Amino acid sequence: MLKYVAKRLGSSVLVLVGASILLYFLVTVSGDPLEDLQESTDHNRETLIAQRTRWMNLDLPWYQRYFRWLQGVGGCFRGACDFGFDRAGQRVTDAVGQAAVVSLRLVILATLLSIVIGVIIGIVTAIRQYSAFDYVTTFLAFVFFSLPSFWLAVLLKEYGAIRYNDWIASGRISTTAIILISIGLGLALQFIMGGSVKRRLFTGGVATVVAIGALFYFDNNNWFREPHLGLPLVFVATAGAAVLAIALFSTLKSKRVLYSAIGTIVGGAVVALVFNNALAGGGIRFIGGGGTSVEFGGWAIIFALGLALLIVGIAAAFIFGGDNRGQAVGINLVTMLVLYILLIANQAVGNWANYLGLQSRPISTIGAQTPNFSGNFWETFLDSGTQLILPTVALTLISIAGYTRYTRASMLEVLNQDYVRTARAKGLSERVVITKHAFRNALIPLTTIVALDFAALVGGAVITEQIFGWKGMGELFRTGLENVDPNPVMAFFLVTGTAAVLMNLLADLVYGALDPRIRR
Amino acid sequence: MKARKFLGVIAATAAASLVLSACTAETPSTSPSPSDSGTNAAEEPSEEPVADDEIYYSVGADQWSGYNSNHSATYNAWTSVVNDRVHSGFTYYEPDGTIVQNEEFGSFEMISDDPLTVKYNVVDEAVWSDGEPIDYVDALLDWASQNSTFLSLDEEGNAIQDENGADVPAFNSVSYTLGEYVPEPPAGEFGGKEFTYTYSEAFPDWQLMVSGFYPSHVVAKAIGLTKEELGQAILDGDAQVISDAGKFWNEGWANPAIGTFPDAELIPVSGPYTYGSWEAGNSLTLVRNEAWWGEPAKTARLTFRFVAPDQHVQALRNGDLHVIEPQATVDTMAQLEGAGDGITVENSDSLTWEHIDFNQNEGASPFAGNLALREAFAYCVPRQQIVDTLIAPLTDKAQVMNAREVFPFQNEKYNEVVEAAYDGRYDAVDLDLARAKFEEAGVTGPVDVKITHAVNNQRRSDTVDLIKASCDQVGFNVISSASEDFADRYFTGAGENWDVALFAWSGSGQIASGPNIYHSQGGQNGAGFSNADVDAAFDQLATSLDPAVQLEAVKKAEAGLWAELHGLPLYAHPGVVAYDSTIQNVRPTATQTKVVWNAHQWERVS
Repeated sequence: MLKYVAKRLGSSVLVLVGASILLYFLVTVSGDPLEDLQESTDHNRETLIAQRTRWMNLDLPWYQRYFRWLQGVGGCFRGACDFGFDRAGQRVTDAVGQAAVVSLRLVILATLLSIVIGVIIGIVTAIRQYSAFDYVTTFLAFVFFSLPSFWLAVLLKEYGAIRYNDWIASGRISTTAIILISIGLGLALQFIMGGSVKRRLFTGGVATVVAIGALFYFDNNNWFREPHLGLPLVFVATAGAAVLAIALFSTLKSKRVLYSAIGTIVGGAVVALVFNNALAGGGIRFIGGGGTSVEFGGWAIIFALGLALLIVGIAAAFIFGGDNRGQAVGINLVTMLVLYILLIANQAVGNWANYLGLQSRPISTIGAQTPNFSGNFWETFLDSGTQLILPTVALTLISIAGYTRYTRASMLEVLNQDYVRTARAKGLSERVVITKHAFRNALIPLTTIVALDFAALVGGAVITEQIFGWKGMGELFRTGLENVDPNPVMAFFLVTGTAAVLMNLLADLVYGALDPRIRR
Repeated sequence: MKARKFLGVIAATAAASLVLSACTAETPSTSPSPSDSGTNAAEEPSEEPVADDEIYYSVGADQWSGYNSNHSATYNAWTSVVNDRVHSGFTYYEPDGTIVQNEEFGSFEMISDDPLTVKYNVVDEAVWSDGEPIDYVDALLDWASQNSTFLSLDEEGNAIQDENGADVPAFNSVSYTLGEYVPEPPAGEFGGKEFTYTYSEAFPDWQLMVSGFYPSHVVAKAIGLTKEELGQAILDGDAQVISDAGKFWNEGWANPAIGTFPDAELIPVSGPYTYGSWEAGNSLTLVRNEAWWGEPAKTARLTFRFVAPDQHVQALRNGDLHVIEPQATVDTMAQLEGAGDGITVENSDSLTWEHIDFNQNEGASPFAGNLALREAFAYCVPRQQIVDTLIAPLTDKAQVMNAREVFPFQNEKYNEVVEAAYDGRYDAVDLDLARAKFEEAGVTGPVDVKITHAVNNQRRSDTVDLIKASCDQVGFNVISSASEDFADRYFTGAGENWDVALFAWSGSGQIASGPNIYHSQGGQNGAGFSNADVDAAFDQLATSLDPAVQLEAVKKAEAGLWAELHGLPLYAHPGVVAYDSTIQNVRPTATQTKVVWNAHQWERVS
């Protein structure tokens, strides 16, 4: 095993070095780094050219510059990385550190969302193979997949930011719009649920009516500008999620799982009530001996809340789970995760009206936060959150397609396996066949693309970052290339390349662990 | 089983709609946020005196690089745009590129023209934002920092050498021109606000040489001296002290990290604004400088957001930027036109101008030494058509440019120069005349004309296409040659591999930039142009201090350049500025200081 890993790593390093030589060369011949200065008529033109020449070592041939760069990078093995200077004499090493953080912030949510949504859609389309739902989602997934991201981003800015902000200034919907939206929702829902014509009519009808009622209510109560959820609703929704989770992954007949879920909901509710004030106020103050006090701010509270919920979930599963402990832990964790998200959402939603007071146009087209924004913890939270929405939507829409297709293909393959037929033949319910026998095995091939996608995380999203004005890795790469400045480009390459190599290796190892047939 | 599935569907539908609708049962008391819009609405107007406003502007996606914009590593256009707002100096540019004295800061006058001697006077109230007066020692430090004869010394007092064995100047400055022309330190008194520079030779752009300063008291303190001691050391040429001062000047103002300013006490400012906050990768905010002695900035905060120019239009429409200066392209103009009433769009000018140059390096192209052939080409280049097709859609001020040293928007001066230097013969395409000149040139068959230009510039490719369509009828065979090493070819290649170059010079408003390009000894004379009359005219320009003489010299030079056809000017690049109509006093400028040059006068009225 060790030998295999060493072999893989060794060959990867060779590939990286080769690729870096090629890339360095290509960047250096992609243009003239002095062009803007050559065309200037300033008095200090000569000095500027001399200085840029010095920063970029332009007096040396490209291979010597490359070796200098390689030496600096070689320092990483001694713990002193040096990615050199960019053309303006700024340290690339510093820039990379900041850019990587920004990119992670931008891309991580989008990646998680596209994995979850993509896998769900993939499974459903596989189960409903060749249904209208299958065709329509496949069609849409491909449409989004093939949309150029700059164009999608521009559309999102137009409708998601500019038009939305114009609308939220009043926050009212016309009656026609309410009816159209509700009919749309009804149509979509019956489509997803499927079934006989009668059932579809029923689903669609009920959904439409409920939506019309809800939207009228929201509209009349100015809910879009002053929304609130409230804890009781949060608890009801959590209970709903628990029921759904049990139905999917276990069975409602299993008393132990049910008890453990009830236990975790009650425990979670207690935790939520305890934390409610601290969450709302954004902090807790502990007064220790001698008048010292320690204050915990927003993020610490959120972290502590998560920890508490986690403990409650596991504890409830261990106390009530009995023989079904394993299943109970999973279900409780899903339930607590839902509760966690809802509790945070509850606070955020509750602060929306105040946030609108501070920021009359909440969705921004550029940047990671409003400059000089000052508000309480939740208002700041909302400020960063709203800025994240559009780029996340753009990235998610574009990358969902891949996951959908992979999951669908892999699920279909598994569903045609003999052991699935055997499982059906021995009388297992369709739910058990799909969740226990098919779904898990269908996920194995996904490991590879998930791993590679996480490697790409570090690389950010070149175009999306540029369009939304985030200074991440993609931006580093793009400006470097534009300025014919190899060092930033190489830093981007090195970080993403190394991540790709490592994640690929990891995927192979995990693959072996997941699927015993792979191991020889 | 079917029934259960069915129930599940209903449950899911219900749960989903519950999430959205259950707030019906809520009373506001459980919600931590008072959703009482009445209070907000009541508070807003009272919180918003005009004084406490904030305006967003963006130079581009590039980070601010540092306090010292005279240092080579932190000097760049986008950083200067920010720093110019926190520093004031003796001069500023009017929107048409003329230089004006900034009376809020001080005044200056030429007291002798041989030798050129200029006396400066800082107003008495002028202080750094930490209260220290701006005075003579600041001028001394400014002079020393632009003097490459002061060298970096190591601890033993030996000059440090770079990899190539050359001495390293103590101050890593972007310009040493002042030191070259003013070899002796300016004269004045410690603590005084008056000082005098004596130039070793006449220098027409002397007004540009001294503008703002950096705080000498900060540098002195950092190296353990008093301000006077530092001043004395500069006067005495004390190499070690100057080297130490240079070390701090080079390194002491560097940002500790992107997003973090140096210590506030290190970076006092002398303008209407001072540094406020800086969010890495996002924005940099300037706030009013309370110690500023002049007219206070009308808007409390000026925020520079780091956004790529192609995103500016949508950002303006969404209120994420309030004043923008995007690249004028057909797309941007269309977007701006559709942007609605709340946004004002103005065309602006720029000191960047497009032109074609003939390669006249000996033997390097058919145009070298063949005036008739140059004339033939000049008659067939459709200048008006180029402007009509490529520039007119972008600006209502589009016009063919008929000069090199003055710009169409400098109305009177431009008209005077053009009238004296150019008779309008190349205004319209005249293919018959072009053919006649082609005959006269004594060339046979199609003459290959390789037009070299930079890559990835659609407008230039289009220009070449238009030229080709016209000139190929005369007997030329125009070949478009976009190349990555365009600039290299032009400036250092001794004219190899190109016949005509198509590019733009970007100027910054000085008087004597022409000699470098058109003089036979000029450092930027890549076209290999050489003409005794033009040389004489530029020599006169470069050594004269009298505006009237300078103007005459420009006329003579332009006439010579037209007669001998160095090349053809095409047009000045158009610019566009758009802003939120509630903001007043936004004045587009042609200079590199960008529209933000008068940001302290911007004011939102609504």
